[in-house]
Amino acid sequence: MSHLFEHKGAGGKGYSQPESIMPTDNLQIPSSLVRKDLPKWPRLSEPEMVRHYTWLSTRNFGIDTGFYPLGSCTMKHNPRVNEVIAQLPGIADLHPLQPEHQIQGTLSIFHEMQEMLGICAGMDAVTLQPVAGAQGEFTAIRCFQEYFRKRGESQRTKVIVPDSAHGTNPASASMAGFEIIEIPSQEDGRIDLNALRAVVGDDTAAMMITNPSTLGVFEPEIAEAAEIVHAAGGQMYYDGANFNAILGLTSPGIMGFDAVHYNLHKTFSQPHGGGGPGSGPIGVKSHLAEFLPGPVVKRRPILAGDRMTSVNKEWWYHWQEPENSIGKVQQWHGNSGAVIRSWAFYRRYGRDLKTMSQHAVLNANYLRHKIMQEAEAKGVGHRFCDGAPVDVVKHEFTLSFAPMKEEIGIGAMDIAKGLLDKGYMAPTVYFPLIVPECMMFEPTETESKEVLDEFAIKFVEVLQEDPDVLHEAPITTKVRRVDEVYAARNLVLSYPFDEE
Amino acid sequence: MVDQLPNLGREKEMLEAMGMSSMDDLFADIPEAVRMNGELPLRGPQSEEEIIADARRILGANVALGDRVNFLGAGLNRNYVPASVFQLITRGEFLTSYTPYQPEVSQGMLQAMWEFQTLISELVSLKVANLSVYDGSTAAAEALTCAVRVHNRKATQKDTIYISELLPPARISVIENYTQGGGVVIKTLRHNSDGTLNLESLSEAAGSCGIYVEQPNPLGILDGGLTRVKEIIGDGTAFIVGVSPVSLGLIEAPGNYGADIVVGEGQALGSPITYGGPLYGIFACTNAYLRQMPGRIVGRSIDVDGQEAFCLTLSTREQHIRRHRATSNICTNETLIALMGAMHMSLLGPEGLQKLAQRNMAACELAKKKLSEIPTIAIPHVMNCHYNEFVVELPGAASDCIAYLDTQGLIGGYDLSNWYPERRNWLLVSFSDQTKAAEIELLTAHLAVWSASVSPGVSA
Repeated sequence: MSHLFEHKGAGGKGYSQPESIMPTDNLQIPSSLVRKDLPKWPRLSEPEMVRHYTWLSTRNFGIDTGFYPLGSCTMKHNPRVNEVIAQLPGIADLHPLQPEHQIQGTLSIFHEMQEMLGICAGMDAVTLQPVAGAQGEFTAIRCFQEYFRKRGESQRTKVIVPDSAHGTNPASASMAGFEIIEIPSQEDGRIDLNALRAVVGDDTAAMMITNPSTLGVFEPEIAEAAEIVHAAGGQMYYDGANFNAILGLTSPGIMGFDAVHYNLHKTFSQPHGGGGPGSGPIGVKSHLAEFLPGPVVKRRPILAGDRMTSVNKEWWYHWQEPENSIGKVQQWHGNSGAVIRSWAFYRRYGRDLKTMSQHAVLNANYLRHKIMQEAEAKGVGHRFCDGAPVDVVKHEFTLSFAPMKEEIGIGAMDIAKGLLDKGYMAPTVYFPLIVPECMMFEPTETESKEVLDEFAIKFVEVLQEDPDVLHEAPITTKVRRVDEVYAARNLVLSYPFDEE
Repeated sequence: MVDQLPNLGREKEMLEAMGMSSMDDLFADIPEAVRMNGELPLRGPQSEEEIIADARRILGANVALGDRVNFLGAGLNRNYVPASVFQLITRGEFLTSYTPYQPEVSQGMLQAMWEFQTLISELVSLKVANLSVYDGSTAAAEALTCAVRVHNRKATQKDTIYISELLPPARISVIENYTQGGGVVIKTLRHNSDGTLNLESLSEAAGSCGIYVEQPNPLGILDGGLTRVKEIIGDGTAFIVGVSPVSLGLIEAPGNYGADIVVGEGQALGSPITYGGPLYGIFACTNAYLRQMPGRIVGRSIDVDGQEAFCLTLSTREQHIRRHRATSNICTNETLIALMGAMHMSLLGPEGLQKLAQRNMAACELAKKKLSEIPTIAIPHVMNCHYNEFVVELPGAASDCIAYLDTQGLIGGYDLSNWYPERRNWLLVSFSDQTKAAEIELLTAHLAVWSASVSPGVSA
């Protein structure tokens, strides 16, 4: 164990700086604001700093390290040229308050992205401002709210979510001030139309749902669900977390949705970075466009007097505030760096984004098949069952290990820890909540057949493992099973200098 | 595309293994009525070489700040991020990892974020810091909703918060969006004509859930009066301060003058401006706000062998557990940018931070000295101390001045009529550690010329 705060070099150690442009002995600071004690930051030379963070990186698992079948998170390969592009001065060294004639290049890319995202989701208008999926949800729900306010339907105070929904759905709607109505799913995880019919009414603002569902299953009755909600006067919201399954095959627009968010950090390969940054643009149908957060990028034919650049020989790109905008959800123009990376990713596929989704679904079904086949062959097929009994899944699938828990006391979390010992990241555990002892697998399109074959074998080896060994797992990792209860009961949220 | 899909050309083999014959079989569950038929109406795929060539051409059409002499800041200042930060951040173990839900294989990022929490906690002098929210504006908004959750029950001004009247409209708009769902009433705090907070009227805010002010404030003013705020508003009202983090190398940490929550835009530590995102929002608070705070937090723990280990903690506040009762909807945050911040802070050390703050402040002071020598312009808050930026009152419209400076190769600053419509002649000029003395000379010369040219027509 090495601690950053144990580096206590001489004062001023670390990175050298040029001298100040004027003497700093008499800087004007109000006397009550003179800082008395500097922060207890460490003192490292550059070699020490580089080694510390390199050492930390060796204690972390990424997609580059190995297979990362984390369901719902779409852990696909991140093409490296995207990182190079995002550091070009034409994006990294740009200020969000620069005038339009200085940023025609960025605006043209934003315009291209707005158009592309709109086409892929069957939506009429797009904003790139929300910086994460959850913020996209919140933004769209705010647009619904203003839409109803304008129509004099402010009595619509309820948002319906299925019990299989991502936690952000109810959290985002609740933050916007809506009451949450949770409806149960059917046994097989699909939406229960009767339960939906029973709760819609004059007070329904919206339904939030993802399709394929969090069980990785396509909702065949999605159009009917949309009809029920629309007939009651509500809006349909598409959680884009699972969009990777359907590009070019269907779209939220075709299914009857009014608004959608995109997770650029899932579908469009902005790296997850240990938890962020992300980017969560939203698309809406035309009746909601006037409420989008502002501004959005528009273009018009170039006029005499416009300053020509290499990108706008035909078009002048400009910001425009939607007429009844909800305002801002981030102070600037969103996570532009993520949008640029995702643009580079889009350019790699173009219309073949459809092939990308087909391969994501191919890999998920293949892995599911291989696991089942291998488990049957090794006599452990009875230790789990399908989260949803269907012939085909979409980009991810769920398995329930309730039978195994019942039989030998080994649940999803033990299996997850066993997988860590095999050199894999574990699938998502205990989600969705409606599947007991759930594991959710999402291989993505960027894993080879060999990786999937090997994983299926190793996974079944874990299922065959001695329960006592699995209770002890992991044993090969940098630390062993971490005591999360201890962490919560003995809160140490920063380096305890006074323990020294 | 062909270089991204390992199983391209092997579809048949894989389908046959599953007893299927075509890719269409995989989508048989999508009803005909909702299928998209035909190709996506998009352009064709490009190779990596074509993409980077296009990127260089298109982004090359932008004017980067480094291409010009720049005085545009308004909360985001041009900085220098050490090369080692960019090199380390490309390590795939960091870059391509997800939220550390499996702590046994995520100790690197968990420890780095625990260290980040410590660096921030020390910087602002508060016990607790989370591992980032989206940016400075959402940090302020989340702090205010947090204050309502903590104080509303006992508040005499229920559901009420106060914010500085000087805040930029975009920041206010974010705060409005985040608070309107809870039915929160936003009132404003007045400022004196010299730009400092009006302490006489501040007692109006006592009994509300919280107040939000900034140090330096949006006009760049360092306000010594903020050290008296907490005694005026009292314990039942949260004192929330938005900071420029680098300034804290010289300026007292708000935790030491009564702040309950400190937020801020982290960008100056570790991140290029990147057209306004991704950045990272700093969020720190006292223990009293811990269980109502938004976002993820890392705790130190032990593993089954008793060795030190780190994991996410207090997750029961968060959306994936608490769902609609969560303290915030935030899930994805800005971890990687916060990591860049931690790396930059580690390299700076305490004295490096102090020196960086001095360089920023010196640039601002030198500029104030030079510009105050121009007879045709005024510096309205000249008697105050400034950090990074100050207001120049011109003899004509700031928009005209900026247009003139643009023709001279300068990005001249920010037209404050965008924030305060009645202030047509206010130009906000910004200076940072990257500002050169010669650039200040250049600005002074051009402003003198322009101001003299419009002065005869000035109407008071």
